[in-house]
Order: sequence, then C-alpha cells, then structure tokens
Amino acid sequence: MITAEQKPMEEIIASVAPFNSILLVGCNECVTVCAAGGRKEVGLLASALQLHFFKQGKTLDIKEITLERQCDPEYVEELVNSVDRVDAVLSMACGCGVQTIAARYKEKLVFPAVNTKFMGASERQGVWSERCQGCGDCVLGITGGVCPIARCSKRLMNGPCGGSTRGKCEISQDVDCAWQLIWDRMKALGIEKRYEEVMEAKDWRTSRDGGPRKIVREDLAS
Amino acid sequence: MSLKKRFSAGDFVVFAEVHTPKGVDISDLVANARRLKGRVDAVIIPDMDNGIMQMSSLAGGMLMRQQGLEAVIHVYGRDRNRLALQGDILAAHVLGIQNLLVVRGEEMANGDHREAKPVDDLDELAILKMIRSLQEGVDLAGFELKGAPDLTTGCAIAPFADDAMMEKEIEAARQKVAAGAQFVMTPPIFDMAFYSELVKKLKPLNVPVVATVFLLKNVGMARYMSINDPSTRMSEEIINRIRKAPDREVECVRIAGEMAASLKKVTQGIKISTLGWEHRLPAILESAGL
Repeated sequence: MITAEQKPMEEIIASVAPFNSILLVGCNECVTVCAAGGRKEVGLLASALQLHFFKQGKTLDIKEITLERQCDPEYVEELVNSVDRVDAVLSMACGCGVQTIAARYKEKLVFPAVNTKFMGASERQGVWSERCQGCGDCVLGITGGVCPIARCSKRLMNGPCGGSTRGKCEISQDVDCAWQLIWDRMKALGIEKRYEEVMEAKDWRTSRDGGPRKIVREDLAS
Repeated sequence: MSLKKRFSAGDFVVFAEVHTPKGVDISDLVANARRLKGRVDAVIIPDMDNGIMQMSSLAGGMLMRQQGLEAVIHVYGRDRNRLALQGDILAAHVLGIQNLLVVRGEEMANGDHREAKPVDDLDELAILKMIRSLQEGVDLAGFELKGAPDLTTGCAIAPFADDAMMEKEIEAARQKVAAGAQFVMTPPIFDMAFYSELVKKLKPLNVPVVATVFLLKNVGMARYMSINDPSTRMSEEIINRIRKAPDREVECVRIAGEMAASLKKVTQGIKISTLGWEHRLPAILESAGL
C-alpha cells in the first residue's frame, strides 16, 4: 500500500490559516490502513485545528468527509455539493488523492495534510517499511522475493557491498542488508546457485526514470 | 582578453560550438580547434549533447585550452548529482576552463542511452545558485572550500514555440540572471525580424545576449524544422533559397554568415552551432565578415 504520515501541525495550520471554511477530506484506502488520513484521523485533525484557531479567537468552519477512494474520480464526484461551500480543501489522502481533487475542482485550492512516503508493507502493528519502488520490471522472482531496488541503500543489482556487516547496512543498524536477506532466502530455498548469475545493468525506462507513466487497458478503457 | 573582460568592455563576442568525439580519437577536435584559433573568442563544448554519450566536456574544454582557446563548457543536472557537478566545476577551474553555460539536458528518452537513469538532482536555477556559492567559497552543504573557483557563467533560453512560451522563457531567464547567470544564450531562430525583437525583449535583463546561429546542412533539415519545430521559425524563403542554389552546402554557409552579420548589429555576441560540421566554421565566419 501507499504509506503516509501527517504533516507537522504548524505546516497544516499555515496552509489553512487564511481561510474561514475548509473541507477536510479523508480516504478509506491506504491512508486509513497506515492511520494517517482515514475517518479517525480526519476527526482528530479537525478537532486539533478548531482548538488551535479557537484559542486565537477565530472560528474555522471545517466540514469533514471521508471518501471511499480519493484517487478515483467516481468517489471524488461526491464532493461536488460541499466543495462550493468552502474556501479551500485539505486532503488527508496520498498525493494521488490530492491531485484527483485538484484536477476535478479546478477553482478550489487544495492542500495536502499528509506527506506521502512510500509503497510499503506492515512489519508489525504501527510499523511500515518500504518494499517497492515501482520500477516497472519486477525482479523479485530472481532475488528470492526481496527487492534490491527498494531495500538496498545503494540499489545494487549485484550485492552486497562492503558495507554489509552481520546482516545490517552500513547506513544504520536498523536497516537490514537487502543482499544478506536475498542470500539467506536463496539458501533456505536451495537456489543459491542463482546468486552467481550476474544481473545486467538495469533498464530504467520502465521506472519513473523513463518519464511519467500510464497504464492503458484497452479492454477496460471507456 | 578573457570572456569576462570582453563582456564587461562591451566587446562583440564570437563563440563557436565544437563537439567532443564519441570515442578517444581527438584528431578532428584538435584540427577544428586549430582552425578556430584567433578567429573566435571562445569555444563552447557541449557535454552529452542531445543525450548522446560522448567524451565529457571537461576533457573537451581542457583540449581547447591546450590549443590556446578559451573554453565554455555545458553544465546540467541530468547526468550528475550535486556532488559530481561541484567536483567537476572545481576541476574545470583548475584545468583552466573559466566559463560555464548552464543548460537544460535533453530528455534521456531522446538520447542514445535510453535505459539510463536520469539524475535530475538540481535544476538550472539550483545549479546557478550552486556555482555562485562555490565562487563565494562555500559548497552546497555549507562547507568552506580550500580555494574558490572564479567563473563566468551563462544560461540558456530554451526553444519556444509561441509567444506565451516566449514570455515564460524570458521570465525564466530573468530568474536565472538573478541566480547568477552573467550572460544569456538564445536558441536558434531563422526569422531575423523576430530574432531582433527577442533580443530587444531581453535587454532589460542587463546582461549580454548571445544569439545562436545554426548552420543548416540541407533542404531536408530546413524542411524538417519547418514542419516539426515551430520554435525555429523556419521560412519557406530559406528552404527555397537552399533548394534553388547551385551549391546547396555553400548556400547554407552563406545563410549562416548573413544571419551572424545581421545579429551582430543587435546583440553582444553570437554562437555558431554546426552540429558536427565544425570544419565549416571558418567559412561561416568569413561569410559574416567576422
């Protein structure tokens, strides 16, 4: 899923301070799972903002709504009635959601309330780690199910480097060496012979490096 | 006299663009440099121009210095991050290259190593500010340098297809000058009346304007520009002139020479770009009376 973290309160306050009314929009998908911008966080942020402005002698009118998916125009359409009655929109979705609202409601200023972080997986309650960079040409099948692009600090396609010590990366003791994980997994699966196969220089065109990407499914496109 | 002095003295400055080879055979590069010695004020060495891998501009610039020519090398963020850019700029100074031209790199998708990962750590404005900082003796991380480089830095105006884009590019040029650019270089334009107008619009920037003269090579090239690249403002008149000429190559040289002579009246400098036909540079200069 896409992970996100709420922006610092001062930044959110600064973005909505010029307005008297805002629409605070959450999303029921990824940001709900990573507890950054779901219905619960919308309620908490609305209360925090109201309290802040109340202390300053100002009333900020906040309309709260949480959409099923903010990255889907079909659900963003649900804002059509409420968006006209506010000065600005504060979105708690990832960057995809913010942009879907901005594209649909061109006359309205939209501010992000979260920082979109990465595509990750849950390690345990309250901990998410980066797992995928969306390179567009998945190598997990030949790296034992561990991604060297998302998880090796140097994105080595043929690792590890000399900075790998006792399974940890030289940048931090909290970061696993991806190539140690790959090796361990290959060994456990009895496929360590594969490690000897040199991976060629990667073709980055399928990644963001080839320019902004789009998927068109002719069988589904309307 | 150095480029910096020529600019500040208000002298007319002639640049020639010379490309490094794709390989290590520098015989053509050196031969072209020798032809240009005493004919131009400085030689501009693009880096991986048009996204084509070739010998780096740093080496090209140094080779020009060895031939007694002043060099200007391209700097851009597509292939180098801030560490590499700064390191190469320090190296340029030490190797005797005193001038930089900050440009926008061609899209990797249009080059010859399309699988490569573009760096794009810094854009043109950030690079210009970085260069200014280096000259003040501080790197981009805030650390003091042991000896600061002394450089003359220009910026490029990207080709623009219409008036709206032109306004944006002029505004961008204004920002680049504020960020430290000491001269601006225009893209090639074949409509001289329009070109003169553009130069006038750039006057308020209060820095020397260097106009690019591009050597056409044949009718096909002119026709291609006319159809696919509105930014060049290619006219049917020029296409027909080349088409009807008894010697088309000579006519192309003559057109470039006329443009150079005409631009001399309105700008403080010209750059002659021949895209691989550097051996034609002396003929263009002769034709322009330069």
